[in-house]
Amino acid sequence: MATERTARRKRKEQSEYFFDYSLLFIVLFLLGFGLVMIYSASSYEAFQDFEDAAYYLKKQLVAIIIGLALMIVVANIPYHFWERFAMLGYVVSMALVPLVKTPLGVESHGAKRWIRIPGIGLNLQPAEVAKLCMVLFLAVMVCKMGKSVRTMKGFFIMLAMPLPVVAEVYLITKNLSSAIIIMGISVLMVFVASPDYKKFVIMGLSAVAVVAVLVFAIVSTSAEGGGFRSERILAWLDPEGHSQGKGFQTLQALYAIGSGGIWGKGLGQSMQKLSFVPEAQNDMIFSIICEELGLFGAIAVILMFTMLLWRMMVIANNATDLFGAMLVVGVMGHIAIQAVLNIAVVTNTIPNTGISLPFISYGGSSVMFLLIEIGLVLSVAKRIQLKEL
Amino acid sequence: MLSDNNKIFHRKKILVIFLGCVALLLFLFGRLVYLMIWRAEHYSQLATELHERERSIKAARGRILDCNGTVLADNKTVCTISVIHNQIEDPEEIIRILCEELELSEEYVRQRVEKYSSMERIKSNVDKSIGDRIREYDLAGVKVDEDYKRYYPYNELASKVLGFTGGDNQGIIGLEVIYEEYLQGEPGKILTMTDAKGIEVEAAGERRIEPVNGRDLCISMDLNIQTYATQLAAQACATKQADSVSIIVMNPKNGEIQAMVNVPEFNLNDPYALPEGTPETLSAEEKQDLLNGIWRNGCINDTYEPGSTFKIITAAAGLEAGAVTKESTFNCPGFIVVDDRKIRCHKTAGHGTQDFTHAMMNSCNPALITLGLRLGLDSYYDYFERFGLKTRTGIDLPGEAGTIMHQKENMGNVELATVSFGQSFQITPIQLLTTASSIINGGNRITPHFGVKALDGEGNVVETFDYPIKTGIVSEKTSETMREILEMVVSEGSGKNGAVEGFRIGGKTATSQTLPRGSGRYIASFVAFAPADDPQVIAIAIINNPQGTYYGGQVAAPILRQLFENILPYMGIMENDQ
Repeated sequence: MATERTARRKRKEQSEYFFDYSLLFIVLFLLGFGLVMIYSASSYEAFQDFEDAAYYLKKQLVAIIIGLALMIVVANIPYHFWERFAMLGYVVSMALVPLVKTPLGVESHGAKRWIRIPGIGLNLQPAEVAKLCMVLFLAVMVCKMGKSVRTMKGFFIMLAMPLPVVAEVYLITKNLSSAIIIMGISVLMVFVASPDYKKFVIMGLSAVAVVAVLVFAIVSTSAEGGGFRSERILAWLDPEGHSQGKGFQTLQALYAIGSGGIWGKGLGQSMQKLSFVPEAQNDMIFSIICEELGLFGAIAVILMFTMLLWRMMVIANNATDLFGAMLVVGVMGHIAIQAVLNIAVVTNTIPNTGISLPFISYGGSSVMFLLIEIGLVLSVAKRIQLKEL
Repeated sequence: MLSDNNKIFHRKKILVIFLGCVALLLFLFGRLVYLMIWRAEHYSQLATELHERERSIKAARGRILDCNGTVLADNKTVCTISVIHNQIEDPEEIIRILCEELELSEEYVRQRVEKYSSMERIKSNVDKSIGDRIREYDLAGVKVDEDYKRYYPYNELASKVLGFTGGDNQGIIGLEVIYEEYLQGEPGKILTMTDAKGIEVEAAGERRIEPVNGRDLCISMDLNIQTYATQLAAQACATKQADSVSIIVMNPKNGEIQAMVNVPEFNLNDPYALPEGTPETLSAEEKQDLLNGIWRNGCINDTYEPGSTFKIITAAAGLEAGAVTKESTFNCPGFIVVDDRKIRCHKTAGHGTQDFTHAMMNSCNPALITLGLRLGLDSYYDYFERFGLKTRTGIDLPGEAGTIMHQKENMGNVELATVSFGQSFQITPIQLLTTASSIINGGNRITPHFGVKALDGEGNVVETFDYPIKTGIVSEKTSETMREILEMVVSEGSGKNGAVEGFRIGGKTATSQTLPRGSGRYIASFVAFAPADDPQVIAIAIINNPQGTYYGGQVAAPILRQLFENILPYMGIMENDQ
């Protein structure tokens, strides 16, 4: 009986293992929707600048095709294969970030955050590499440390490990948002790995307190005029009063969102994309979605992200081992943090900082690495046996 | 492998993260609802303000029509040429073509073409044919907008009455100023959507707020009478080498002015042209002074000593006060002594003994001085004020001059005596004509005016203008006596050159010496009305500084005779059967 059952199981192995088509569908939907919106948001400026309305669309499409190919490859490699590269990944990300200061570095939008990969003509953002490597590295570390993660010492070791990379990203590339995202991913992974709540509640509350004190300090000393970041805080509190300075982009996004109303102006009908919202296809693309598709378009996007996170939660909860679960949690954290922060920035809920909307915003290296991460998640999902669901 | 125990707490934690994310997304969704529903109006309004660019559409200015509906002031289509900096593709080509077509200096055009602004006007009031030609070049960044320019089909006719408009189609002088609010209309707007650089987005379409055209103004002027009066005035001005000749023709019953001529007139279609021989070196201010002089309406803006025509007023006051009758006798030895002053009559030999009618027929100074003194200062001054001579007539033209009269406290017998025969004070011609009208029309002080009614685009009357009439200035009886006396003046007295065969004409001549005395400059004038028993038209002719003969009876009276000979039949006033 037992051997017979095993044989039957072996025959049906393919079908009994899980492939998350829902997740794949959601990702493809977001990518397709993103392409439509990138074309809508960028065609006017693209035509003016490059005489090719589809300039950004084409570049993004190429990145997505490469990304999908990488995703399929990664999805078909058992994820434990990557375990051995964890340390290497960490070292590589540490090494890549300073490269932006070398002649390989590419400047764009007033910041040096990209490096050119010689021969391919593609620009790579080391911060994106660092996010992926950090997810892998911390997943491996959680497994290696085992129960010692639960001790105070383990907790601090875990939190200390991403700090060098975070510091590098923040100090060398002046990229606060990527630093926050990497730190956020790490905290979420440690949070899942540790059974404790109290430490995290205290950490969260103290973070809120520090932010509140900082904001208060900046507002009360605003008369003397602070630096680059404090002006952002002031523009956040009163965008209309800083409409020509740091509040410009935010205010233009608010115009777009507000003029969308419930039903939106219709696809392609945005006025704000006509050079009013700077780089409408990038970080601020959500405002154009709101303007053209209205509140219902915005709900649809938020709903798709919620479903994406839900699918990843299901996969993480059913992963065959802790390493797989932690990998998925890292990816989930990455996407969740970026989606939430992006929408928060566009709606002026938090001060303006450059965070792209996953899968939708224009940006080749971002979408490629996101698709590799989805490949990892699919690979984890593949190991789940159907009866365990 | 996850142990079951581990699995439980990991699952819980992952669920917490998921729920945390859902909570955050829900919060952001709430924020979106707030922004897109509650704040939608605020932000879309701000956004629209940001996107819309406004171009105004000129409203067609209302026309000015004479009493028969002939158009005296019209509009013609002209073009405004402007450049939109962001749309310019070939600035050199644009500069070259615009210089050539618009006859502007390259420096002027270059400065405007190269100026970084959303829209820069190069030239307005460009002829439509030139505008069409520029449009045919199809230059990127050059805009040809059509609008209206004032056009006066009769060039110089009634120039100082009609007035003209400036570059923005606003009235500068004359009726164009007074009736600005009726004529100007309301400009419309074209609102177009533009991108951040100010480039129009064609697909977004445009919103038009249509202009409201100005009202047409009907005035009482009669083109034919005005034209004929202008010819007569120009002729007299030329033959007498006078400085200027003015003629006013008015209906004495209601104050409607049929003609107002001030020769020399100027060309309304080219009001800024300076007379030939003007030195080029004039400063802007001197030029403006010169132009203001050219544009001056002497009938209204300038005062003069009326002289003997003012005896109408003194006589009416005397009759009204009962100080004199037609039969009262006066003796004129050729002069009269007032206090210590000896005032001469124009006939140095004297008129001898005469009744009052003959005193008026002779225009006898001593007789009128005697009457004035008989009335006394208080009474005379009262009548002066009661006749409305100290107030402006209220004519619907800008810049009416006030009366220059002695303060009552400063008047002695000598001043009273001179005022009695029309000297030592100044009034405007329109004031004299208005006061004479009210004396002969039964005692109603009318308001002289041109504006009759305003019409909308379809010719419907929008507003009929009312003018105040003050009744009871003099009694009907005094009025009738005055008409009889003044008819005698024309039929048998000093105004006989103004007589028109077959018509009963009343009138009074005047010859006044301008200040300073002894300069040899005179003003000859004649006031006349017809028919004498029921005046339907009153006119005044004033010749300023005629050469040679300067007597009103010989210079001014024939002008009005010729005028009446032609306009009385035209106006339907029948010849007398007698």
